[in-house]
Amino acid sequence: MTADGVGKVAAPAERAAAARRAQPPAAGVRLVRLYATSRRVPAAVAAVAACAIGLRIALAWPWDSYGALQLPLVFEAGSAAAITGITASRLGDPERVAGRWLPFLRLATVLALTAVAVSALAATGAGAHLAGGTLDVLRNVAGMTGIGLLCAAALGGGLAWAGPTGYLVVGVYALYTQWHHPALTTPWIWPARPPHDLGAAICAGLVFTVGMAVFAVRGARDPADE
Amino acid sequence: MTATNAPAVSRPRPAPRHPALVTARLLRLELRHNAMLWMLPVVFALFWLTTYRKTMAMPPLWNLRAVSMQSGAILDFITPVVGAAAWMGSRDARRHTCELMRITARPRWARLLATWAATTCWALGYLVCLAVLYGMTAHQASWGGPLWWPAAVVAASLPAFSALGFAAGAQLPSRFTAPLAAIAAFFALALSTQLIVGSQSYWQVSPVVAAPWDLGPDAGVATFYPYLPDLAMAQVMFPAGLTIALLAALALPRGSAGRRLRAAAAAVTAAGLVAAGTAVALAGTGKLDTHGMIAIPALHDAASGRPIRFTPVCSHTAIPVCLNPAYSGYLPVTVAALEPLLSEIAGLPGAPARINQAAAVYRQGIGNSVSIGLAGQAISGRPPVFRLLLPAQLPGPAVTTSELAAQIRSSAGPEIVSHIVGAGRSPSPAQKAVVAALLRAPGLPRPGSHPGHTPTASRERGELSRPASVVAPGSPAYAAAQRFAALVPSARHAWLVQHLTALRAGRITLAQLP
Repeated sequence: MTADGVGKVAAPAERAAAARRAQPPAAGVRLVRLYATSRRVPAAVAAVAACAIGLRIALAWPWDSYGALQLPLVFEAGSAAAITGITASRLGDPERVAGRWLPFLRLATVLALTAVAVSALAATGAGAHLAGGTLDVLRNVAGMTGIGLLCAAALGGGLAWAGPTGYLVVGVYALYTQWHHPALTTPWIWPARPPHDLGAAICAGLVFTVGMAVFAVRGARDPADE
Repeated sequence: MTATNAPAVSRPRPAPRHPALVTARLLRLELRHNAMLWMLPVVFALFWLTTYRKTMAMPPLWNLRAVSMQSGAILDFITPVVGAAAWMGSRDARRHTCELMRITARPRWARLLATWAATTCWALGYLVCLAVLYGMTAHQASWGGPLWWPAAVVAASLPAFSALGFAAGAQLPSRFTAPLAAIAAFFALALSTQLIVGSQSYWQVSPVVAAPWDLGPDAGVATFYPYLPDLAMAQVMFPAGLTIALLAALALPRGSAGRRLRAAAAAVTAAGLVAAGTAVALAGTGKLDTHGMIAIPALHDAASGRPIRFTPVCSHTAIPVCLNPAYSGYLPVTVAALEPLLSEIAGLPGAPARINQAAAVYRQGIGNSVSIGLAGQAISGRPPVFRLLLPAQLPGPAVTTSELAAQIRSSAGPEIVSHIVGAGRSPSPAQKAVVAALLRAPGLPRPGSHPGHTPTASRERGELSRPASVVAPGSPAYAAAQRFAALVPSARHAWLVQHLTALRAGRITLAQLP
């Protein structure tokens, strides 16, 4: 090799950029597929579908005022808990180091699953009385998913479900206090607020946004034990 | 260094041979690495927010607070306990260490049992919540003692929740098992109460039911008569049977234990299921008794139907007002509400010699409705005693002191006055006018006024005498009532002493009223 030839060799950064440009689209799809598989996303979708089916079956039952209000919240919490189930990872540090697209994959997965859950649960209201309607479903699922994501960052992906399930108890109690005063009216307990309540929607949206941001940037806390 | 002063080679200490020590060591390890430990802050926060605050806002009556604690604690603990137990039950499968664990000296069943026991031990952190709540109540309550059966129902339910979640996790190991099992358990427990209709319902075996459903915590229960543990016994039996069945079932799969142990486990599983089924059947035979509790004939102790002996707390008014010591906190407001009337009627012929608080009588209505009232006449005996039912003995929302006083006046006042004046079902115009006038006296409700709230359960007395106090404005009786009410109390009292017999006999006309 001569000195002229040395000058023609591309720099490593350029080589990497060229390699990225040369990547077929299938590689991106494969990355998404591998990520979804590693996080058990298909199982989460199945769990969300099971919640929606369960809610649809339950709505066919005649409920009193208490039950009719509390029923959707139970299944919304189930869906949110299922979504937070995808936060645990078995790969740990190697993935964190090598996974440049990891924050985007986390973000996209959570957003997609939340959209699926809201759509599925809202669809159960077709032909039945779903207390609160679609807005209620959107607010509650998003808010409780946000709580779950924050729990994933704090407790770990394995125990992230503690957030939505614990909040379910608080929400059900807040609905109960609508009949048995003093009522809990803080917008931070949004399930007890009417669907069009702006304060409750802002609180739920804020929790969802913060939860998603924290999870996207930092991921779940755990070295997962699976 | 020579061979003589070289340190002796230390050998590894042999493992303790005593089975109990080995088990204790295993349990200690499991306790240190248990998910339920992480759930305890969540549980304590839930308990404080939804149960402790609500319960402590109630009057310091053991019956109210124990019943409220039972329902609340069950709902607070179920999701974290079931979820954590399911998480622990699926641990080996999630970590792919099942094969590795299979070659350990202990059978799979024994290892699983240690993990379940550790989870349950942490779940029994409930005892801390119980101690705080009962401790505060003991500090505030004026009479009575803690009711242990509601506490026992929760304590027996927690191992069952733990076993339920653990079995789910062990059978369906997945990262989604824990949340879905927790949600399913909450759904089954909290919303299954929708199926309760009347007092004879199998669903009352649910530990969340601490009193006749839709009546809820009621101050009138378990103060004049002992707390009936019948339903609580069935509710302890059900989760105990379920726990035994679920834990024994863990030994049934091939490879979990030896052949003989599996055969024994099958028998124990069947026995546990029989016990749980029996508890459900017993709960279905329950019936609301007259004292407001669910009596189950097969578990009923006839001695629990005897009234509790107590020394009432009495006021020093012209006519003493005596309350059950559990309600001593209500004495000042009761006295303040009735004192103007009592000083007005004291010494009149037929006036009660004493106002005694009485026990409420409960009757099951259609569906889940319950009627609450007094059995028999409000005033009876010689000397006559007025039997008072405090508004606090009836279900209803919390009220302020002034609202409570208004309720006492509007319920007891007309009945006492109507009895003295002899205004029965069809009072004479003069009797109506006198009743209305006495009820217009300062501090007494105006005729036709209503109490501050309407209890959800219906009252059975007081309705007959109330019309006697209502006189139409502009009528001659109304004018006479105004005239009579305008007299000074001493003049009114003197006239009543002189003319009450004639008034009771209906011989006084409106014109004869001063």
